[in-house]
This record gives sequence, structure tokens and C-alpha cells, in this order.
Amino acid sequence: MFKKKSALLILAFSLAASSLAACSSKKENAQPSASSPPASASQSPDASTPAQSEDPIKFSVFYSDNATLPFKEDWLTVQEVQKRFNADIKFEVIPIADYQTKVSLALNTGNNAPDVILYQSTKGENASLALNGALVPISDYSDWTPNFNERVKSFGLEDQVASLNLKDGKRYYLPSLYDKPFYDGGLILREDLLEKYSLQAPKTFDDLYTVLKKFKEENPDSYPLTILAGPRVLYRMTMPSFGVSVGKNGASGTNTLSWDYANQTYFPGAISDQYKEYMAFFSKLYAEGLLDPEMAEPIDGDKWSQKMATGKSFATYAYYDQIGGVASAATEAGFKLQMFPPLAGPAGAHHQPKSSTGSGILFPKKTADRPDFERLVRTIDEMFFSEEGAKIWGLGAEGTTYTMDGDKIKYADDIVNSPNGIYKEMQLKYGAGSDVTQLVWINAQEMTKYDENYGQINAVVAAMPDAIQAIPPTPLFDDMVAEEAASLQTPLADTFEIWADAFLTGKKSLDKDWDQYVKEMKGLQIERFAQLYNDNLK
Amino acid sequence: MHTQRKFRPLTFADVLIYAFMIVVVLICFIPFVYMLALSLSSPEAIINNKVSLFPVGLNFAAYEQIFTYPNFFKAYGNTIFYTAAGTLISLFMSALFAYAMSKRFLFGHKLVMMLIVFSMFFSGGLIPTYLLISNLHLTGTVWAMLLPFALNQFNLIILINFFRAIPSEIEEAAIIDGLSYFGILRRVILPLSTPALATIGLYTAVFFWNDWFNGLIYLNTDQYPVMLFLRNIVNGTTMVGDGAGAADKSTIAMSIKSAVIITSTLPIIILYPMLQRFFVAGLTVGSVKG
Repeated sequence: MFKKKSALLILAFSLAASSLAACSSKKENAQPSASSPPASASQSPDASTPAQSEDPIKFSVFYSDNATLPFKEDWLTVQEVQKRFNADIKFEVIPIADYQTKVSLALNTGNNAPDVILYQSTKGENASLALNGALVPISDYSDWTPNFNERVKSFGLEDQVASLNLKDGKRYYLPSLYDKPFYDGGLILREDLLEKYSLQAPKTFDDLYTVLKKFKEENPDSYPLTILAGPRVLYRMTMPSFGVSVGKNGASGTNTLSWDYANQTYFPGAISDQYKEYMAFFSKLYAEGLLDPEMAEPIDGDKWSQKMATGKSFATYAYYDQIGGVASAATEAGFKLQMFPPLAGPAGAHHQPKSSTGSGILFPKKTADRPDFERLVRTIDEMFFSEEGAKIWGLGAEGTTYTMDGDKIKYADDIVNSPNGIYKEMQLKYGAGSDVTQLVWINAQEMTKYDENYGQINAVVAAMPDAIQAIPPTPLFDDMVAEEAASLQTPLADTFEIWADAFLTGKKSLDKDWDQYVKEMKGLQIERFAQLYNDNLK
Repeated sequence: MHTQRKFRPLTFADVLIYAFMIVVVLICFIPFVYMLALSLSSPEAIINNKVSLFPVGLNFAAYEQIFTYPNFFKAYGNTIFYTAAGTLISLFMSALFAYAMSKRFLFGHKLVMMLIVFSMFFSGGLIPTYLLISNLHLTGTVWAMLLPFALNQFNLIILINFFRAIPSEIEEAAIIDGLSYFGILRRVILPLSTPALATIGLYTAVFFWNDWFNGLIYLNTDQYPVMLFLRNIVNGTTMVGDGAGAADKSTIAMSIKSAVIITSTLPIIILYPMLQRFFVAGLTVGSVKG
């Protein structure tokens, strides 16, 4: 009897243990989502409707589908462009989380590839696929893309577009184009509290310190400044004001190098004096309890909203879109969040650098074998980059979704009165303004879709000198050098992160331990790393 | 023995065992209750962290919203089809294969067995497999979902061993009574093998139900299974673009994620208790008399 009991006991134990084990192993299955290509969209002038006597041109496209904006075949925009440009498009709608996998498989095997792939660039794997002949070098066919060329010229993006050329001097996709980058995220804080404590809106980082200090004084249990999604968001949104950029977006993902805009070279930003000064500021915030200690964890969207809505924090770096959700969940009377322009630091007032080109359209190699390839390219060019085509993808059809009152865009009443807001309603109901299909973005035109406040902030930021700088150029590595750069990059980035955390939280002292840190980074050849980047610029 | 046990007082060990079992049950059960509560709560309550095991601000908006997603029901129907058809095909093929392999006198059965075991440990990898399926002209057809997975080595081994354990005297009796091998398989072996068939049937059904990757790479949009849909909602919306535009950073409400998880996992969970009796039936066949 006793034996049986103990056997049962063991069984029960192991069952309990295995169920716990199952819980933890679940996590590993979480697939990293496909790295999201930058946003994109379109709009351009010059409409030449193709001869209607021809049959509609048939082609298939890969479309990246986001669950916040589920694709509908019967969207006005999708129907309208097919009608106007005499096309018959077969949409292959693929969930965004797995889009990259599907594209990669289609390009690698060449089997079942569509004629056109949307929402892609030639970063990462696509670059070597392109150089190995899996993609059409669309820059060779620039005679067939007059609308695109015209846009590039009118936005003044010649250099930026040229920088998308690969090692062989050819460009393999039609990127989306932006006339002026959006200021879509930044310092967001409680405007109602500024008034309540009679504080001025912060203009510099020293002002921010004063504001946070006051918030802390009035609410000793709070951590006034919190960050959405970990320190990288903070780094990339604030470091440029100190003259460095080492976040994920810093200098095209080098992580530890920064771009010197005056001298047009890379330098080891992670061990620069500018970075030291930056860390000194934020470690001071941390030491005085002004910065949320949980930010290293990183804080996810739900938790972040909770902190902001319940008054655990009053200021944050995050995106404008997210204000609404927090405000509606807040219970405090007079709760009001406002976004502010970038604060001035030692290197001026800058937000994270942004590219004026985004992901766009690429053509798999076999598309060039189509007898009607020229017509296909011309149709794509008109559909996405002509005045008429770009307007449909951005605004819908004139007369249905909007009317023109002189220069002003007037949206239809049901859109203006929708609880979703103009921007979201246009997307959900008409498919207008989806960053997969809109490839021409005009800042002033987009701002008409948002509340006035957002438009005003954007206007202020657009008027600031160089508030949003261009993304530094990507060096053109061949495979060998790319390998060397990658092998240098990882240990540097890891070491940098460990030290950044230590400096921020005061585990290491900026005064005493800085030299040791610099020595360690130099031992990992940060200077050689910068050299590699500088040697391979165009 | 049985009547005695009924009246025996609980010992300390019993209490421990029950306590552990209850903990195990709770570990399995609470996440589902929590998900259900989240899916029925208002977004405000979720953001303010008020929801534990019971819905706060009860509403069905999340369910209403997912039912209006284009293709949700279509994808759901696809998954039911893949699960049902895939499981049937798999059981049929596995039974045929395993019955032949369970005969030790079959010429070359060792070699075939080695091939099976080999393919358990080594496979061709993603791209060669994709090329194979594609060159067989299966991509874009439901067969790409069903045929490559008709035989699972692990299930085969279970089934082969189960068939081998069935006393050969039963088959000999059937042969004397004039049954062919197919007749024996159909009328004698399979009816005796319900526990094994239920086990591998359940494994297979769960595999087909959960499979999203093969659907993604081999099929077209309107053939996608619901798990791909679920993945996109739970996983695909947390990205932040670094382009210059207003990248869509809106997130999907927790309540909707939970509702999708509940609706897409519930049916397969309900299968378990229904198949329970086959497992309990046990593996002892016992139809050969002394």
C-alpha cells in the first residue's frame, strides 16, 4: 500500500512540475514578428488614364495585412484604382507577422512568386537576393516610371533615393516617398498638471528636470517619467538633442556608432563625451526617483497605459496615437495629455532621425519575363505615384470620401462624425491611408485627417530648423566586410547595453568607471567598427 | 478491496496527493478563466487592472468585433475541414501502414522501419520541402495541408507496437473463419484498437488544429486556417515603424486578443473530455481465453 502511495505522490509531483515547465516553454515559441519595414504611402500628380480599349492588365500582388486594419477586397480605394487604371489585381493577403517568411520563401525558391510585392525594401536578406538576381533592378527601367521620377524630384529626394542603390549601383524597389517626416511621437505629459502647478511647458532638458521635480514633490509615491517599450524608445527620441544616436534607429542600426551631420562621417558615439553628458542627465533623473525604474523591463502598451491613466506617472516618451486610449481610461477630472516638440539639449532640439523613403514595391525576377512587363511597370507607376492614383490611396475618391473646397480638403460628413476619427475611419472603411498601398505622403495633406492639435504640433516641429534629421547613409558592404562588421557589432551592442543600464541606475559611476568602460569598448574594436563604416560610404 | 477503500479515512499522503492534483488542475484551468474574463470585460477595466477571474463591465463587444472581421468564419471553416479531413486521412493511412509493419514476417520491414526512424531525426529543411511540394503541384491546394502530414512517424510507432500486442491467436481464428487480411484489419484489429486510434487521432487533430505555418507557406489567402488569423491578431500588431510617416501604432485591445484565443482554442479543448472514455478503456485487450 505504502509503495503505491509514494508512487502516486511522485506522479503528482512530476505532473505539477511538468505543467509548470509547460508554462515557461510556451514563451520560447513566441515567434519574433517580422521586422516591420518603415511606414509608407503615396500620392502624386499627373494622371494619364490608359487606353480603355485594352483588356485590363492582370497581375498578382503580395499584401501585408495588419490586424488593426484588416484588408477588404471591396474597399473603395482598391476597386477605384482597378477601374481607373484598367487593372485586374489578384491580392494575396498575408498576415504581417509572417509576411517576411512568405516573401523570403517566394523569392528564394522562385516558385509561386507573385508579379508584384508590396511593403518591402532591399534591407537585410532582400539585398543579397537582389544581388543574386532574384529581383528586377527597377532603376534600369526608369523610363517606364515617369510619375515616380517626378515625385522624387518635386520632393527633393534625389540623394535619399540614390542612397537606396545597392553595391552594383542599382535600385531594386520603388520606395514610398515623404515630403516632410511626421512628428508622430515624442515627449508627452500632463498638460492639466502643468497648469495646476503653474509650470511652463518645457523647452529644454533642464526645463524637463524642473517639471519632473515638481511632479515628484507633489506626488512623492510616483515616478513622474515613464517610457513605453524600454529604454531604446527613450534613447532614440532624446539622444539626437545631445548629438548622439545609438538606439535601434541610430545610424541605421549600428547600435553603437553615431553620425556626425556636420562632417558627414560616423564616430564612436557610445564612448563620446556627448553620450557621457546624456547619461549624466538621465542617471540624475533616475537617482532622484524621477524616472520609472521599471523602464528597463520593458514596459508594454497595456502596463504603460495603466501607469499613465492611474497617475503613477505624468510624463512619457511615446506616440501621439496612444494618447486617446489613455485619456479615455483615465478617471481623474481634467486629465489632459499633450505632446510637445523635441526639447533642446547641448546639440540643439532634435527628434529621432527619420527617412523620407519607406518600404515600397518590388518585382520578382520572373515578372520581367511577362510579355506585357512594360505595361505592368507603367500601370504600377501610375497607380501608386501619379497625382490621381496617389490621391485615391491617400484620400479615397473625390465626391465620395471628400470634396475640394478651393485648396481645402473637406471630408464627407459620415467620416468627420465617426467616433473612430477621420484617419482611422478612412482606413477601416475605405482603405485610404494604409501604409501598404499609399506610397506618396504629403505632410500637410495627412494632417487634415487628424485633430487640429496634432496638426499644430507638426507645423511647429516642421518649422524648427532640422528638428527631424535624415537617417545616416548605409555603407555598402560586400559579403566579407558585412560579416566582419556584424561580428564586431554584436559584442559591442551587448556591452553597451549592459553599461548603459549600469550608468543609468547608478550601479556604475560615470565619474569613476567611465574610463574602464571606454577601455572595454575600445578592446572590442569600436574604432575599427567606425572605420569600416566610414570606408564603405559611397 | 473496493468496498474497503470507500470507508478508509484519508491519510496524510492522500491529502498531499489531492492538494497537488488540485494545484495542477488550477494551473491548467485558471489561464482559461482569466482569458474568458478578459474577453468579456471592458477595455477600461482591463487597462486599470481590475479584472481577475470575473469579467468587469460585462460586454460582448470583443466577440462582436471578431465576428465582423472579414474571413474569420471562412478561416474557421477551413480549420475544421483540415482537422477533420486531415485526421481521417492520417488515421486511414497510418492504420494501413502500421498493420503491414506489425507483421514481423513481412520482407524488409526492418529496412522500412529504419527509414521511418531516420526521417524522425533528419528532414530536408524548409526550402527543399517547399520545392518538393511545389513541384508536386500541391501548393495552393488543400492537399498541401493534408497529404504531407498523413503519416507521422511517432504515431506510427505507437500504432505498430499496439498492433503487435494484439494476440496473434485472434487473427489465426479469423483466418480460419475465412477473413482476408483486409477483412481482419477492418473487422478485428481496428475495433480492438480504439484506444490507440483515439490517442493518435487526438494528437493528429490537435496538430492540424494548431498548424499555421504550413497553411502560411503553401496556401492562398482564402484557404488560411484560423490559427494564422489568431497569430496575426495576438502577435502582429506590436510593431513600430521607423519611417517618416504616421506608422499605425494602434494596438489591438486585450479583450479582443482574449476573445480570439478563446474562440479558436475552445473547440479542440472540448474534444478532450469526449475522447476521455477511449483512453480510460485502457490498453488491455484480454480476449484470448486461458
